[in-house]
Amino acid sequence: MLIHNLKKSYNSKTVVDSVSLEIPKGCVLSMIGPNGAGKSTVLNLISRLIARDAGDITFKGKDISSWKNKELAKHLAILTQSNNVQMKLTIRELVAFGRFPYSGSQLTAEDNQKIDEAIAYMELTDLSDRFIDELSGGQRQRAYIAMVIAQDTEYILLDEPTNNLDIYHSSNMMKIIRRLCDDLGKTVVLVLHEINYAAFYSDYICAFVNGQVAKFGTVSEVMTKETLSEIYNVDFEIQEIEGKPLSIYY
Amino acid sequence: MDISTNINAASEQDITPKKANKKAAILGRKLLLLLLLSLLACGLYIFLNINMKYFDYALKIRGKKLAAMVLTAFCIGSASIVFQSVINNTIVTPCLLGMNSLYTLIHTAVVFFLGSSNILVTNTYLSYMIDLVLMGVISTYIYSYLFKKTNHNVLYVLLIGTILSTFFSSMQSSMTRIMDPNEYDTLLTTLVASFSNINTEIIFLSFVLMIVVAFVFRKDLALLDVITLGKNQAINLGVDYDRTIRHLLLAVTLYISIATAMVGPISFLGLIIANVSRQLFSTYRHTWLIAGSAFIGVIVLVFGQLISEQIFHYSVPVSIFITVGGGLYFLYLLLAERKR
Amino acid sequence: MKKNHLTIGLAICLFLLSIWSLFLGVMDISIAGLLSGNLEELEILLISRLPRLLAILCTGVGMSVAGLIMQQLCMNKFVSPTTGATISSAQLGILLALLFMPSSTIWTRAIFAFVTATLGTWIFVFFIQRIHYKDVVMVPLVGIMFGNVIGGITNYLAYKYEMTQALSSWLVGHFSIVLRGRYEIVFLVVPLVILAFIFANHFNIVGMGKDFSSNLGVNHNLILFFGLTIAAMITASIVVVVGSISYIGLIVPNIVALFKGDRIKGTLLDTALFGAVFVLICDMIGRQIIAPYELPIELIVGVLGSILFVILLLYRLKNGRKSVKPKELFKKRNIKNGYLN
Repeated sequence: MLIHNLKKSYNSKTVVDSVSLEIPKGCVLSMIGPNGAGKSTVLNLISRLIARDAGDITFKGKDISSWKNKELAKHLAILTQSNNVQMKLTIRELVAFGRFPYSGSQLTAEDNQKIDEAIAYMELTDLSDRFIDELSGGQRQRAYIAMVIAQDTEYILLDEPTNNLDIYHSSNMMKIIRRLCDDLGKTVVLVLHEINYAAFYSDYICAFVNGQVAKFGTVSEVMTKETLSEIYNVDFEIQEIEGKPLSIYY
Repeated sequence: MDISTNINAASEQDITPKKANKKAAILGRKLLLLLLLSLLACGLYIFLNINMKYFDYALKIRGKKLAAMVLTAFCIGSASIVFQSVINNTIVTPCLLGMNSLYTLIHTAVVFFLGSSNILVTNTYLSYMIDLVLMGVISTYIYSYLFKKTNHNVLYVLLIGTILSTFFSSMQSSMTRIMDPNEYDTLLTTLVASFSNINTEIIFLSFVLMIVVAFVFRKDLALLDVITLGKNQAINLGVDYDRTIRHLLLAVTLYISIATAMVGPISFLGLIIANVSRQLFSTYRHTWLIAGSAFIGVIVLVFGQLISEQIFHYSVPVSIFITVGGGLYFLYLLLAERKR
Repeated sequence: MKKNHLTIGLAICLFLLSIWSLFLGVMDISIAGLLSGNLEELEILLISRLPRLLAILCTGVGMSVAGLIMQQLCMNKFVSPTTGATISSAQLGILLALLFMPSSTIWTRAIFAFVTATLGTWIFVFFIQRIHYKDVVMVPLVGIMFGNVIGGITNYLAYKYEMTQALSSWLVGHFSIVLRGRYEIVFLVVPLVILAFIFANHFNIVGMGKDFSSNLGVNHNLILFFGLTIAAMITASIVVVVGSISYIGLIVPNIVALFKGDRIKGTLLDTALFGAVFVLICDMIGRQIIAPYELPIELIVGVLGSILFVILLLYRLKNGRKSVKPKELFKKRNIKNGYLN
């Protein structure tokens, strides 16, 4: 996926300004940066949730807007933060929606298998008949991830998947994301606030400041004292644990 | 993925479709019950206290009213469910958009400008067509303009709709005050919801229009289940969200127009039947919800009309029962929402 | 300095319009006639024109101040006597008075209307405080539905006891029955508005939230119910005399806030003046459009007010964020979130 010169503004306030980026295939890419830096907006733009003002987004050699909606939904999935369903919906029914781009509402045997696999993968099998609104935050988040897995796309975009989760659930979530990439060969792009999760679990980091890409590179390229201090305006120390750079800030 | 989860998945596969079937069976039984109840209501309505001497005549009159009620129930029931799902809020109805007052305004304006003796007013068939066409065109135009202007922010559209309903009814009242009192008298009878005096052709025409609208928008209706997941999820799953919403709202507008032009304005009915249906079926599948809502609509309307005719001898119109009942139900819904 | 210009301008405008409206009507009155001691003209002036003008002024001031108070207390720019079920509750009260005491005087009816309007408003606020909607627009929608419910009950009772005709004069507000001896209740608005002026700062603080007001040593619930009661009583005393007049309480404070921001102390006077000017203009239009007959004020306000309000709403939606001042941020944040999500 290639992004070139992407721009977006709301009421004359520019939130994304000339962003160019190439998302490498088969790895985990984290987007970090201070509040209002435009990370989520970029994610929403490349997943066609919001319309861009200028620039090109090329996905598999074709501009994203010339893809057919249903076709694109088989290759690219996005999960945003705000997911509130008012309907009485069980986990299994929710996950089944992941197959919608393939079969509509008539599920085939293959669909059912994929759904069950996705539920099992997220360890939700015992809960699969529970209603979504009865679940805890962590379980609900897992249910939505299961739906995205059932959607069986090469690219998965996640907007702050660890938001509102406690330490146990968020580190679990990060492990799952890592496994999605390692086991199932998916490309995962996610927006994160927790820098150390980004450092520990992803391959590449893209740091945003003021709607622009401040630094893009491998984890060790971005996770330096100078770069981080500059991006966040806070003093940083970098230490190595298990061969991976971790930051300390105060 | 380790082996244990694989096994788990395999065993799960056998269970879940069975469970789904069981659920469908329960829903099916509920729907059957509703169908039987509505048939009972219809039967009672036709045969209760019928005068055997004029059986044929009474049957014809009652049959016509019944057909109008059934059609209205289907229109309002399905439109309300669709509307609620589209705007993701179950305590509102499309009547909040101000379409009832738009109807009264259009109807008054036609009489006002053409005079009560004009053929377009006196001929019920033509008058129905004029109301329907004007209402369809004007409301589609107004609401699509509003949706565009507010960037598809449904709550703002609703708020503007309620304000527009004051606007329409103020215009309408102003016209009636300027109007010739005789013309006003003829107008008044057509402004209250009524199932009597409906022409057979109009019922038939409404029926055909209903089918046509359902057919034209069948693809969008099939997307309703996905739409309830919310905008982001729907787009993620490959739905052209804005277009679908536009189509669905157009369908809602047309259904409400058909029902209103046929029997006159009815508020609150949609709120009751859509919510009862949602509570009863407690599913996200709109096939069930819409069918349930329509049958409940038939039951409520026909029984309401029965009470109004047989117990109150036409002294209190059925629409008042529906408004009071709907109002109390609305309060209950608010309280229930609070507890959650 | 600039703030005062607006206030003075509005006051002058109101004064001139008031004088003009006194000489507007079926019977000609001239200054010369009055000065020369024409008793007939003087009588018309004192029995009909002056009461009408005073009623109009009280209505305009009262409804807009009631609206402003409710908006401050509920932290919502779309709440008003119409969208907060106050008017429909007052109507129900009047109907109950007519039902239970057919020979009731206007004062008894007023007491009934006070009680029901206050109760109705309290219940509404009680509801919306407990239902935490994400979107500000949901609150007026609930209010409108709640008002419909009360209106439905009123209609049902009216239908059942064949009072629809008697009720209709309270459903559509109009000034044509305002005559000396039949309208004085509307003067209750004056002390109530003065009370509102005195407590303006308290309302402002309560509007900032429960924790905020407790922190400043203000009894939140007491002031909240006190303010709502004032708003409800103002509304009820107007409804008893002239009938329901919707949307003044909604539109006038919003338009003034567009120019002067949201601090109630600074806007209360302008809101009151602008409300009076607005109602006066609507009344003059209503009297001219099909002269020698007149259209009820409610209809003119309904048409003009709705158009103005929709324009206002669309304007806010489009430019809302540009005009945000630090003070307003507190309230506007909700709107923006609702808009973006």
